[in-house]
Amino acid sequence: MTEPLVVFENVVKRFGNFEAVKQLNLNVHEGEFLALMGPSGCGKTTTLRMLAGLEEPSEGDIRLAGKSLVGVKPHERDTPMVWQSLALFPFLNARENVEFGLKMRGMDGVERKRKAFEWLERLGIGEFSERDVNSLSGGQRQRVALARALVTEPGILLLDEPLSALDANLVIRMQAVLTKLQRELGITFVYVTHSQSEAFAMADRVVIMSKGEISQIGTPRDIYRTPANRFVAEFVGRNNIFSGRVNKRGAIDTEAGTLHVDRKLPVGDFVSFVVAADLVAISLSKPKERNVIAAHLISEEFVGSMVTLFFEATGGTEIKVQAQERALEGILRTPGQLLYLSFNASSSHVLKY
Amino acid sequence: MKDDITTRWLLRIYTAVIFIFIFAPILASFVFSFNSDRFPTIPLGSFTWHWYVTAFSDSDVWSAAEVSILVALSSALLATAIGFSAAYTDHRYDFFGKKAFLVLALLPPTIPLVIFALATLGWLSIFGASGKVVSIIIAHTVLCVPFAMAVIRLRLNQMDPNLEPAAWNLGATEWMAMKSVVVPFTLPSIVAALCLTAAVSFDEFAVAWFVSGLNKTVPVIILEILTGNIDPQINAIGSVVFVVSISLVVIAQVLVMGRIKKPETV
Amino acid sequence: MSEHRSDNSAYALAWRLPMILWQGLFFIGPLIFMIAMSFFLVKNYRMEPALQVGNWTKTLSRGFFWDSYFLTLWLAGLAVIITTCVAFPASCFLAFRVSDLARRWAIFFLIIPFFTSYLVRIFAWQVILAQQGVINAGFSLFGIGPYTMLNTKFGTMIGYLTLCLPLAVILQTFSLANIDKRLVEAAHNLGCGRLRTIFTVVVPLAKTGLIVAAVFCFILSFGDFVAPYYLGGSKPPTLSIMIIDTSKSGQQWPRAAVVAIMMIVTMLVVALTAIGYAYRKRR
Repeated sequence: MTEPLVVFENVVKRFGNFEAVKQLNLNVHEGEFLALMGPSGCGKTTTLRMLAGLEEPSEGDIRLAGKSLVGVKPHERDTPMVWQSLALFPFLNARENVEFGLKMRGMDGVERKRKAFEWLERLGIGEFSERDVNSLSGGQRQRVALARALVTEPGILLLDEPLSALDANLVIRMQAVLTKLQRELGITFVYVTHSQSEAFAMADRVVIMSKGEISQIGTPRDIYRTPANRFVAEFVGRNNIFSGRVNKRGAIDTEAGTLHVDRKLPVGDFVSFVVAADLVAISLSKPKERNVIAAHLISEEFVGSMVTLFFEATGGTEIKVQAQERALEGILRTPGQLLYLSFNASSSHVLKY
Repeated sequence: MKDDITTRWLLRIYTAVIFIFIFAPILASFVFSFNSDRFPTIPLGSFTWHWYVTAFSDSDVWSAAEVSILVALSSALLATAIGFSAAYTDHRYDFFGKKAFLVLALLPPTIPLVIFALATLGWLSIFGASGKVVSIIIAHTVLCVPFAMAVIRLRLNQMDPNLEPAAWNLGATEWMAMKSVVVPFTLPSIVAALCLTAAVSFDEFAVAWFVSGLNKTVPVIILEILTGNIDPQINAIGSVVFVVSISLVVIAQVLVMGRIKKPETV
Repeated sequence: MSEHRSDNSAYALAWRLPMILWQGLFFIGPLIFMIAMSFFLVKNYRMEPALQVGNWTKTLSRGFFWDSYFLTLWLAGLAVIITTCVAFPASCFLAFRVSDLARRWAIFFLIIPFFTSYLVRIFAWQVILAQQGVINAGFSLFGIGPYTMLNTKFGTMIGYLTLCLPLAVILQTFSLANIDKRLVEAAHNLGCGRLRTIFTVVVPLAKTGLIVAAVFCFILSFGDFVAPYYLGGSKPPTLSIMIIDTSKSGQQWPRAAVVAIMMIVTMLVVALTAIGYAYRKRR
C-alpha cells in the first residue's frame, strides 16, 4: 500500500498557550487540488506553513512522500510556495526572480536563464522577463511568483491566498490559469483561501477548518449539499438553515412554519437542517407541496445570469433562493411582493451538531 | 485653527530666524575662511586663500587628516557591520533579555562624551592600548553603532516579512538568504549607515582628544588651535571638514529618504 | 506572522553576539571600570589599583566641587527652559502650518548640523560674538554697544542652543505632528482662544514628546564642555571642564571618575524622573 503524498498525523501547533492547530489528521493525494478553507485564525495558514517548514509542529508527524519532515529545514524540502504578498525580490527583475530557486540549487547561469525564460513564456509573460518586478501589474507579478515556484519542477505547490490582492476579473482569469496549470503538470496543489468561490471553483477536495480543527473534508459538491455541521453550513453561506423541534408527526416546527424532512427523527429533539438556495422553487400561487413557506421579497442580487433573491418569512426567518434569470420569467419581482417558496423533503439535509 | 495674516507671518519669520541661528555659524565659518582679516567683522575684508594655504602647508594638519580618514573609515565599517547584526537580530528574533540588548545598543549617545572618554582612557590603559590609533577606532565604533543600527533597522521595517522565508522556501540556507536577499534589500541603508557613521567619527573630538595621544585627528587639531588663539585657519580647516561631513550626511539622507518616499508596492 | 521566535542556532547567535561583545567590552566595560577607578590611588603620577574612599571624600567635601555642581545644574536647567521655549513656536509652525513635504525638508536641514563639527560652529560664534565681532559692529551702526558677550553666561547659552536647538525642534515637531488635529479644531470651535488652546490642549497632548526633547537638551548641555569653555570663559568651571582639568593635569583620573559618576547619577535621576512624569498622567 502506498501512502498518500502528504500525511499529517496528529499534528498539534501551539504558539505559547494558544493552540493554532489541534490534532490534525489529513491526507493529501498525489495530483490533487486540495483547498484549505476557513475564516482567519482557523489554522489553515499555519498548516500550510508547517508543510513548508516555516513552523515546526509542536506534536505529531508530517510526512511527504513517505519521509518525515520533522526537523527538516525549509530549504531542504521541495515545497515551493506562492505567497499572499507574493514576496517577490524587489531588487531583482522578473527573470532573476524566477532563476532564484535554480541558482540556490547551483545550476549554471546559461541553463538557468533558459529555464527561467521558458517558464515566463509558458505563463505568457516572456516579454516582461527583463522588467523590474515593481513595474509589473498585479496579474503579471502573480505569474512571476508562479513561475518562480514552479521552475524547479516540484511535486507539490503550496499557495497561500495568492489571489486575495487581485480584483474580481483578474481572480477569475487567474483561477483558470491555475486549474489549467495543475491539470497539465499533474502535480499536487495545496491552496489556502478564505474565499469559498475560489475553493469551490478550483479544488478537487475542500477542507473546511475552524478553530484549529477540521470541520469537514469533501468535494465542493458534498460540502455544499451536505454540510457536516452548522458552522460549515453557515460558512458556505449559500444555504438556508432552519431549526426547530420535532413534533409527534415527525415534522419540524420552525419559526417559518412546519416543515418536513426525509428522515425519521426522534420526537421532541431540537434539530437544524439546511436546504441549498438553488433547490428552492418560487411560485406566485400556493403550490401543492408539503413544504411551502409564504415570504416577502426583500431584495435581489445578480451574478451573471444567476439571481439570488432574499426573502423574509414569518418569524423573521431569512431565506435565500438562487435561480437562473430565465427560470424566473413571468414571476413579478417587486420588493414587498408575497411569493410562495417550496422545496422537496429530499432536498433537505439534517445537520449533525 | 484659523490664523490672521499677521500671526501667520510672525510665525514664518520666527521659524526663519531659528533656521538662521542654526546655520549662521556654519555659513559664517565659510565666509570667514576667505576673509583676509584675522578678526573678522563687518564690513568684511578682502578675499583671500591665505588661510587655506597656511592650513594645508602644515604637515600636522595633513597627518591629522590621514589619521581622521583612517579612523572614520575603520570605525564606519566596524560600526555598520555591528549595527547591521544588531538591527537584523532585533528585526528577526525574540529572545530572553532582548530589552537589555536594545538598551545596550542604543545607550551610548546618552552618555556625555567627556565621561565616556575618561572611562575609555582608563579601561584601555589597563590593556596598554591607549594613545594608539586603534583606541580611537574602538571608541568611535562604540559611538557609531547606534546610528548604524537605527538606519538599517528602519530599512528592515520596510521588508516584507515573507521575503526571507521565500528564499528559504526556494532552497536557500539561512546564510544564502542573508547574502542574496537581506543584504541586497538593505544595501541602500548600509551605504547610508557607512556615510553617517563616517561623518560622526570624522567630527568627534572629545573621545579622540582623550585617547589619541600623539595620533591627533583633525577635530583634535582644531580643538588645540581653538585653545590657543583666534586663528582663522580653523575656518579653513573647518570648512573642508564641513564639506566632507555634509556630503556624507546628504548622501545618507538621500539614500534613506529616497526609499521611504518610494516604498515597494506589495 | 513574522518569524519572531526564540532560536539559539549558530546562525542566530552569529548575529546577536557581535554587538553584545563589542558594546559590552568597550562601552559597559569602561563604565564599570570607571567606578572601580574612583577607588584607586595615584602615586607619583601613576594610578595604582586600590580600594580607598579618599577620592570620594576629598572631592565631595570641597565647596569648589559643589559650586561647580550647582552651576552646571543651573546652566543646564536654564538651557532646557530656553531651548524648549525658543523651539516651541517654530515646532508648532512646522507641525501644523506646513505641508508634509516642507516638513520633511525642514527635518532634513535640521539633521545636518548634527553631523557637522560642533567645534567649528563654536569657533564661528566666538568670532561673531567678539568685542569687535560682527554683532557688535552691527550694533555700532545704530550707535549702541559694544556689549561683552563672550566669556559670559550669555555666551554659554548661545553654545548650548547651538547644540540643542536642532534636536529640540525635531523632537517637538514630531510629537506635535502626531497629535490628533481634530481635538485641536474641536477646542478651537468650542471657543477656546488660540493661546489657550495651545496651553490647554496642544501642550498636554504632546507632553511626552516635549519632555523627551527637554531631557535630551538637559543631557546634552549638562555634559558639554565646549560651550562653557570657549564661549563661557570656563570660570568657574562646569563639571565636564572639571573632569578635563582633573584628568589632563596631574593624571588625577580617579578624582575625575568621581565627578563623572556624580554626573551620570544626576542625569539618571533627572531623566528617569522626567520620563516617569511624562508617562504617568497620560494613562
